[in-house]
Formats: sequence, structure tokens, C-alpha cells
Amino acid sequence: MVQRPRLTRTRLFAGMFLAAGAFVAAGAAAQSDEEGFPIEHETIRARCAACHLPDSEGRMSRISFERKTPEGWQTSLQRMIALNGVTLAPEEAREIVKYLSDRQGLAPEELRPGLFEVEKRMIDHRYLADTDVEFTCIQCHSMGRVITQRRTREEWELLMSTHRGYYPLTDFQAFLRMGPTPDQPGPDGEPPDTRQPMERAVDHLSEVFPLHTPEWAAWSATMRPPRLEGTWVLSGHQPGRGALYGTVTMGGGGERDAFVTRAGYTFPASGETVARRGRGLVYTGYQWRGRSFESDEADGAMREVMVVERDMNEISGRWFRGDYDEIGMDVRLTRLTGSPVVAGVHPRALQLGGGEREVRIFGAGFADGVGPGDVDLGPGLTVNRVVSASSEEIALNVTLAPDAIPGGRDVFVGGASLAGAVVVHDGIDRIQVLPRTGMARVGGIVFPKGYQQFEAVAFDDGPDGRPSSDDDLELGPIEVDWSLEEYAATFDDNDIDFVGSIDRTGLFVPAVDGPNPDRDRNRNNVGDVWVVATLAQDDNGDRPLRARAHLVVTVPLYLLFDAGANVSTGASPDPAASPNGRGSRTPGPNPGMGGSPK
Amino acid sequence: MALKPINRKADRMVTYLEHQGAVPPAEQMAGPVDPAGANAGVDENAEDVVALGGRLPEIPEIPHIPLGCSLVFAPGWEVDEAGGTAGLCQPVERDLFDCHLACFWPAHVPDQLNHSPDWTGKCAAAQNDWRKLEMIFP
Repeated sequence: MVQRPRLTRTRLFAGMFLAAGAFVAAGAAAQSDEEGFPIEHETIRARCAACHLPDSEGRMSRISFERKTPEGWQTSLQRMIALNGVTLAPEEAREIVKYLSDRQGLAPEELRPGLFEVEKRMIDHRYLADTDVEFTCIQCHSMGRVITQRRTREEWELLMSTHRGYYPLTDFQAFLRMGPTPDQPGPDGEPPDTRQPMERAVDHLSEVFPLHTPEWAAWSATMRPPRLEGTWVLSGHQPGRGALYGTVTMGGGGERDAFVTRAGYTFPASGETVARRGRGLVYTGYQWRGRSFESDEADGAMREVMVVERDMNEISGRWFRGDYDEIGMDVRLTRLTGSPVVAGVHPRALQLGGGEREVRIFGAGFADGVGPGDVDLGPGLTVNRVVSASSEEIALNVTLAPDAIPGGRDVFVGGASLAGAVVVHDGIDRIQVLPRTGMARVGGIVFPKGYQQFEAVAFDDGPDGRPSSDDDLELGPIEVDWSLEEYAATFDDNDIDFVGSIDRTGLFVPAVDGPNPDRDRNRNNVGDVWVVATLAQDDNGDRPLRARAHLVVTVPLYLLFDAGANVSTGASPDPAASPNGRGSRTPGPNPGMGGSPK
Repeated sequence: MALKPINRKADRMVTYLEHQGAVPPAEQMAGPVDPAGANAGVDENAEDVVALGGRLPEIPEIPHIPLGCSLVFAPGWEVDEAGGTAGLCQPVERDLFDCHLACFWPAHVPDQLNHSPDWTGKCAAAQNDWRKLEMIFP
């Protein structure tokens, strides 16, 4: 049960000390004019009260006036341990993160815009609510860190002070205006905004991300331990490897909100099958954080960050490697309730022409003895016979009529269906490289490489025959030839000779870090290149289809804020090839995650 | 990019090339139509300017990096203000000590003030001793 805040007023007494460049944020009592959350966790009260003094309502300075994701609370805890002399056993840290995430977390609606942050997605995020505030924040970190927090106004102010104390140059980088105070009306005719950027940020953030919101009030009233035990149908997509289908079985993990998992799935494009077992913990009633492994803990470790939907019948998110979080897969789990579930079809794109072909339907709960009449692939697609069938996969022999109308087809199996599971087309008209802008980091000698996986997606121009129009048919990933071309940003810098290489799966492997004596002025192996996908056409004389994406190969990160990362500096993202290079570390206490499977 | 000739020589060139079929007629070119309808005419007041740009072609937007989890500055850590690497401080090892001592890129380089006071302790000069730096996990 979530303790509801009470309406009281207390005196303001928040301390901040700036001495000799060192900053100590030592709150003393609860803040005024805002209602905070009482802290009832004994360990927090025992270990944190020396600085975060509780008031008569049980509220502790700073802590009671914030809401965050598990990762947000974990980061705060790590800072307390690193800089403020707090000592905690790993299990104590996990308890604290769990308690605070449950009592002072984010509602699902609040978290959704910032999911990319916790799912470690390299997306082109834009914060449009106030681009000036965005500019202030993203000078040093993602906007995702900001929009996954809720604070009182005074807490937003103290956050700014913390930044200025720990990192004094933030004043010059972002927080203070460089140049004269504006004295002319803006383009909109409004009086000039004379606030400093950090003042504007506090005004904005305290308005749009306050401590108390209707979303949190509603969610905290209905939040309960999730019941996830059972079998789930898994579908997903991993760039470079294609679609994946399988099942996940969840059982109780022996403690509240904890689960153990066993997953099995197939990549139909390659036929590769994977079996995983893992463990997960659900925070705030819906935020799944887990780890899974293929055999033992050193093999194929992946983190799982997912959102359990309100009806507890859908879970979706991303599984990614902890050491190279740029490598991962999008996943969706659908609860198997007794009725069959169609997860996907391979191949999804069926081209007109040719004779009979085999199509495989993936899912779960398919009935025994499925016949051709039980499967409906839509107009123009005739199921000749069932080649093989199990509860999770049906292989069909199919004929596609020569006059079938191009377009998507919903697929029905028994009582289950999947919209747009198959797409009929009359040929590939264009291809596109995703992501359209990628980023990799040099590394391998001292600091870890940052990889970038590209993927080519095919399109049919659709009925109107025009590219990039609304009726285009997306045909999914295809195999192409990958190459690099010079991106002419600087004359004669020949980045392409230095930045690295791309393999046949579209994985860009950057070159090593450090000054390169073979480059002008010892430049690192950084640079800009085009990543080019080429698809050779059939024998009809057409020119090959080409598409390209911009790749920035840039400098390393010299620190990671991720306590659980076990980073290799090897040349390959394959852990078997280079399990622990220099710069690696043993995974430390990682209270935000579910821990290792037992 | 469509260019509209505004002096005599350029106009003659276009007329010649149109005759040769090398370029489409001006009205088929992207760009504003000459208000005088002077596709065939010559501007008597033309100055010694070869051409002015008509409507500029649509320029793809500069890639927006941070891409969610990094940053942008001018120049920035990952990219410069143009979205590329040409303007970065290079090699990065030249800049590491300043970044460390001044806590300039606190999300990218260990900060000397608080988290990692001794990060560069083994390095007399980062450009030469950068291999002695260690990965930091705050």
C-alpha cells in the first residue's frame, strides 16, 4: 500500500554548502509549502538520517520530495556511496531502491515518454515542450534523465545547485547566459525573457514535472503486485538478425514482485534457436528489470527492461547487453490464456510470381491436427497443405495467385489473428538503411568500442507507384551488400581509411582508440562516413538499389555510470571472443536489476 | 539547385543550352517564376552577378545527436555543432586533462573535483600516456 501524503506545512531548512570547490548537499529538514512522502523504511531512516533529517511527519529532506525510476534512485544511491561515505550491503541497496521506486516512482503514463532512457535506446529524441530548457540540459546528458524525474520546485532548484556545486563549469556550459541580457522583444512581440537558463529550467520543470500529479495519484491507488506467472508468447526483432519468435515461462521468484523466467526463441531468418533463463523484479507495479543468460552467467547475459501493461496481459520493452547496450532486441510478450496466439509469419513478404512456397506461422497454443482449412492467409493466398505443425509453429505449403492484390494480409489461425502478418508485393522498389544516423565510438585498446548495427529495410512503392507515399508497403529487413563511402565533411581527410569497417550483417566495428600517428595532426580514428547498402536486382537489367545512412565515428566515453556494466575493450562484441579486456570490472551491486538467476 | 540567370551573359548561356537541350526551360526549373515573364527576355538592369539562387532545395536536417543518450555542444563531445566530427578537439587525448581538471564533460570524462581526483595521476601527459588511463565507473 502506498502511503498518501498529508497536507502539512513545515519550516524550510535545506542546507547547501559550497566550500573550496567541494559541494555537500546536506538537507536538514523537510521543505516548506510542499507535501512530501513519509519514509517508513527502517534502513533508509537508519542510514540516511544523519544528513537527511526526518521531520515530525516522517519526511526526510530531499528524499521525500522526489520521484524517480529505479535507475534514478540507483544513481542517487551510487553517488551517496561514492561521495558521501554511505556504506550499504548490496541487499540493503536493492531494498532501498525497491522501496523508493514503489513508493516514489513514476506512473506508467509518466514514464512512457522517457522509456528510451531506461531501455538504453539510441534514438533521435527531441524535447519540444521547451527547446531552450532542452538545450540547457543536454549539454551534458540526455533529456531522458530529466523527464524521468518528478520533484517539487525547491527540489528542482536544489538539483541545479547540486550540479553547480559538483560541476562548477556548468554555469558556463549551460546554466548562465553568456552575453548581454536581452532587452528587445522577441519575434513573438513578447517582452524579452531575462531569466538565466537555469532559472527558466526550474520554472519549466517544476511546472511540467511536479512531485504530485493526477497520474501518480491514480496509479499509486491501484498499484498492486503483478501476477505474471504463466506462459507468454514472445515476438521481437533484433537489428542484424531479424524477427524472433518463441515463448517465455514465468514462475514466482520467491519474494514479492520477483520472478524466474525460461525463454526459448527462434530467429527464422537464420534458423538459430536460443534458450535463456533469468530472473526479474517488477518495480512500481509495472517496471520489469531482469537479467537472463543462455547457460551460465558469463554466457549471453542480457538485461531486460520492460513495461507490464495495465491489464497484465502484455509486456514490452528491450533486452540488451549490459556491456554493450547498443546491441539488443525489441520484445513483446503476450500472455497465453488458453486461446492460440499468432506471433508472426516467416517469410512475411511474399512476392508475386513463382510457384508454391513454404510459409511458417509462429505463435503458441496452436491446436493439434491443424489442417489447411484452419489457416486463412487472406485473398490470393491458398494453403495447399500443412507441412508440419506443433503448438508453437505451423509450416504451410502455399500458392500465391498471380493476380493477387499487393498489400498486407491479416492471418487467422483457429480463433487467433494477427493484423498485417503477411504482405504481398510485386517487387522491391527501394530500400532504406536504419538507423538513418548512427554513432560508433573508437576503442579497443584502453576504452571499449561503441558499435553500430545497421539494417536495410525494403519497400514496395504501393498502388500509386510513388516512393515514400502513404501506401508504400514495408517488406521488412533484407540482406544487402554493405560498404562505406566518404562523407565529405572535411576536404581530404579520408575518414574512410581510418574509422573502421562494416561486416556483412551491417555491424560497424570501429577502429582503435588513441592518437593515430598516420593521420594529420595525430587525429583519432574518428570521422564521418556514409554507410551504403546495395541490393543487386534480378536479371531484368535494373540498376542495383542503393540506400545510405550517416555514421559518426566518434570519441570514447571515459566513464560509465552503469554499476552493472562489465565492459570489454576487445575488438568484437562477442563475449566469447574477448570476455574481459582491460577496463573491465566485476559487476558490482546493482540494485536496479533483478540479480543473477539461481 | 536551380539558378535563375539575371545578367545578360548568363541568360544567353541558358538560352543556348536550352536550344541544345542540355537544361530544361527555365519555367520547368525549380524556383520562382520571373515576374516579368522574361524567360526569353534580358534584364537590362542586370548587374555583374552570375545567378541568384531560386528556391533552395530542401536540405536534410542536421542529424540530431544526442540521439537520446549523449550530448551536443559547439564543439561537443561526440559531435560538433554541424553534427559531424570535423570540429572536435583532436586528438581527444590533447583535451583530456583540461576536461578532467575542470570537470568540463562530467558525463563523459571523470571529474577531478569529486569522483576521480587521481584519474590522471599516472599520466604526465595524456597525449603520451593515455594508455595509463583507466575506465571509471562512478
